[in-house]
Amino acid sequence: MTLAGKAAIAGIGATEFSKDSGRSELRLACEAVRGALDDAGLAPSDVDGMVTFTMDANAEIAVARELGVGELSFFSRVHYGGGAAAATVQQAAMAVATGAADVVVAYRAFNERSGQRFGQVSSAAAQQVNSSGVDNSFHYPAGIATPAATVAMAAQRYLYEYGATTEDFGRVAVVDRKHAATNPNAWFHGKPISLDDHQASRWIAEPLRLLDCCQETDGGIALVITSAERAKDLPHTPVQVAAAAQGSGTGQYVMTSYYRDELAALPEMSVVGRQLWEQSGLSHSDVDVAVLYDHFTPYVLLQLEELGFCGRGEAKDFIAGDTLELHGKLPLNPHGGQLGEAYLHGMNGIAEGVRQVRGSAANQVPGARNVLVTAGTGVPTSGLVLGDYG
Amino acid sequence: MTGTSTVSASQVSIGTELPQLRIEVTPTFVISTALATRDFQDVHHDRDLAQQRGSKDIFLNILTDTGLVQRFVTDWAGPEALVRSVNIRLGVPCYAHDTLTFSGRVAERVEVDGEQRFVIEVSGQSSLGEHVAGTVQIALPEVTT
Amino acid sequence: MTGTMDSDIAATVHEKAERIAAGGGSKPRPARDPVNTAMINNWVEAMGDDNPVYTDPEFAASSVHGGLVAPPAMAQVWTMNGLHGQRAEDDPLGAMMAALDEAGFTSVVATNSEQTYHRYLSPGEHVSASTELDGVVGPKRTALGEGFFVTTRTSWLVGDEVVAEMTFKVLKFRPAGSDDGTAGDAGAAPWQGPSGRVVDASERAAGVLRPVISADTEFFWAGTRVGELRIQRWGDTLRHPPGPVDPGGSMEATPDYVVAAGHGTVYSYVVHHNPPVPGKQLPFVVALVELDEGVRVLGELIDADPGEVSIGMPVRAVFLRVDEELTLPAWEVAR
Repeated sequence: MTLAGKAAIAGIGATEFSKDSGRSELRLACEAVRGALDDAGLAPSDVDGMVTFTMDANAEIAVARELGVGELSFFSRVHYGGGAAAATVQQAAMAVATGAADVVVAYRAFNERSGQRFGQVSSAAAQQVNSSGVDNSFHYPAGIATPAATVAMAAQRYLYEYGATTEDFGRVAVVDRKHAATNPNAWFHGKPISLDDHQASRWIAEPLRLLDCCQETDGGIALVITSAERAKDLPHTPVQVAAAAQGSGTGQYVMTSYYRDELAALPEMSVVGRQLWEQSGLSHSDVDVAVLYDHFTPYVLLQLEELGFCGRGEAKDFIAGDTLELHGKLPLNPHGGQLGEAYLHGMNGIAEGVRQVRGSAANQVPGARNVLVTAGTGVPTSGLVLGDYG
Repeated sequence: MTGTSTVSASQVSIGTELPQLRIEVTPTFVISTALATRDFQDVHHDRDLAQQRGSKDIFLNILTDTGLVQRFVTDWAGPEALVRSVNIRLGVPCYAHDTLTFSGRVAERVEVDGEQRFVIEVSGQSSLGEHVAGTVQIALPEVTT
Repeated sequence: MTGTMDSDIAATVHEKAERIAAGGGSKPRPARDPVNTAMINNWVEAMGDDNPVYTDPEFAASSVHGGLVAPPAMAQVWTMNGLHGQRAEDDPLGAMMAALDEAGFTSVVATNSEQTYHRYLSPGEHVSASTELDGVVGPKRTALGEGFFVTTRTSWLVGDEVVAEMTFKVLKFRPAGSDDGTAGDAGAAPWQGPSGRVVDASERAAGVLRPVISADTEFFWAGTRVGELRIQRWGDTLRHPPGPVDPGGSMEATPDYVVAAGHGTVYSYVVHHNPPVPGKQLPFVVALVELDEGVRVLGELIDADPGEVSIGMPVRAVFLRVDEELTLPAWEVAR
């Protein structure tokens, strides 16, 4: 049995993206879920499954209670930060495919700017009394205590091994911001940057500059997943889940997989990619739009390599010219990504994937049929191939 | 032991290892050497005060290091070896109740002011690491005396 | 790392050093006693030096010296100030120490003593000593703290003849972590552990995020406290970070550990600028180091100029003692 084509995303919903939502995270979650249900033409009472991130502060039962969802027959959470994003859809698709649920809502909502900011040092992460806390004991006290710093360590080695420069990182930021500039829902709508702007921005954790780092956002996103059959009866073009997969690598840590033979690599994304191509019957050359997780620019380059778009260390050459632009060979993050649109832990990227397949995106890539979406990098992660296959 | 015979220059080759010298650094040793070098700083004879100042115990003073390095070399070279210089670099403290082990080797032959000399490299290790390291220049008789 | 030194302070120190150096050598200060066999005997007994040229008149008479001589290494002993002695008022080392005390560099550690002996001394000769300030270098960042290296030159004279000379170097420093220089001694004195120096970090690492320690990792943190970088070993396989199961798969195997020599090279590194991290002063460098033993270990690279750090750079272990419970492994540039 394969998951390919069994489920579809029938609805997407979002709050506005802000720096201070002025309301509770639970309220944001409920608004996003309600929006997604409205978009799918379904009522709260149709929902019988819910999935979110382990990190999400809003219990499934709280969201269900607030919205009058009623009974739930499936609820699940996925661990490892932003690595959970595409996996929430995988969980939902599996529930739908097996009959554990008919209509599953996947959501993520937080006040990540006005509340707890992930870019700051989290003493809670450092001091959790479990195996991850022990893992962190070899990193946090030493001063590797923020997401940017964890990525910078691998990025520095990447520059060293492959002769890339921080300008190559900057090119990812520039294309994200170029796309965000023409997306009215993006925080950085109307605010493109140049490579000079990137190079002039202040250091966060060398070799990462401020403009290599995603923004901080208050907001919520929700997705409605149901069977491909049922989706056909709903208002929008069904966006099929052609493939959904999780991946964790050998010698895996959360953001600090520093002890594997290769430091400048994301083998867990390779695990995801292999499954995506196998499930969907597609290959990287079939991808029309790539929505790649971009909390920090270097890992976009590494993902291109792990997913087979280019060889190890060749991303800097692959992205040269207009490759990543809307009319290029591999349009990247047409919504502006998490650097340009909003940081919603990867869930806004899935929503963009849905819009691209529907043909309703602000920066629509003409004829987009197969959309690749990836989740958080540096952590155990996940990915999706979405498409309209009639 | 110094003995009564002195090594001659012709008997020495570069790379020759000196016999090791082990010193049991008892409190008595720390105190008697400090006083014999007329160093009356309390950290070399009063453990309570040494600990108040953040040290683990009383410890050897620098003039004793110089003296021990000289002794280590002449114990090997013999009584008529002429000591021309003792240059030392100070490492970790050597506290009472530790053992200090000197090792050394003949590093090179040099001519200074028309005199043939040997440069001996010396290292004194305690349980905490290298306590003292340095070089000693000696002049040796051309024939055995 | 200590804060950046006020350039005015450095300028003042160098100004005083120039003035003291310009004063030249101190007036020759005579030894309390002439070279004498009683003090020589005390010295050789304490040192355990049984060289007969110092103590056996007969042997000495027939030796190259033609009579008893004093151990060369006693040169400085003759002119020590003694139990109730005080530094001469014109002693430039004393003046320079006072100037640095005033500037907040209150702690001192000797680093080098280089003695040259022009000839052996015989009982009855009376030496005197004169000291001049050779130079003051700094400010330098050291593992002990920021400070100045002060070098003096001492000459021992018999009449006008220079019989021995010494170059003596001390580090006069502001203990790491003390902002105002009034902290006095730097907590526990630094000492050399088997894998690297253990230095006081009670101030610099205040508020540091403390490690979560499990039964599998307790040995590692017990090691850092005693200056040992302990690497878990399963048979012939070294493993870091440590864990509870043999990488070879045996559930019967039990681990021990090796104590790393503490030498390695930078495999990768980060210069952290933002945001603030508890127990660290911005910016700071964190290095992932490949040990000579073959495993990678992460730690702060202390006292490094971020611009000088590069992949492949040799480093050595140093241990930052935060308090009785916690000592953090870290790195310093191997020089």
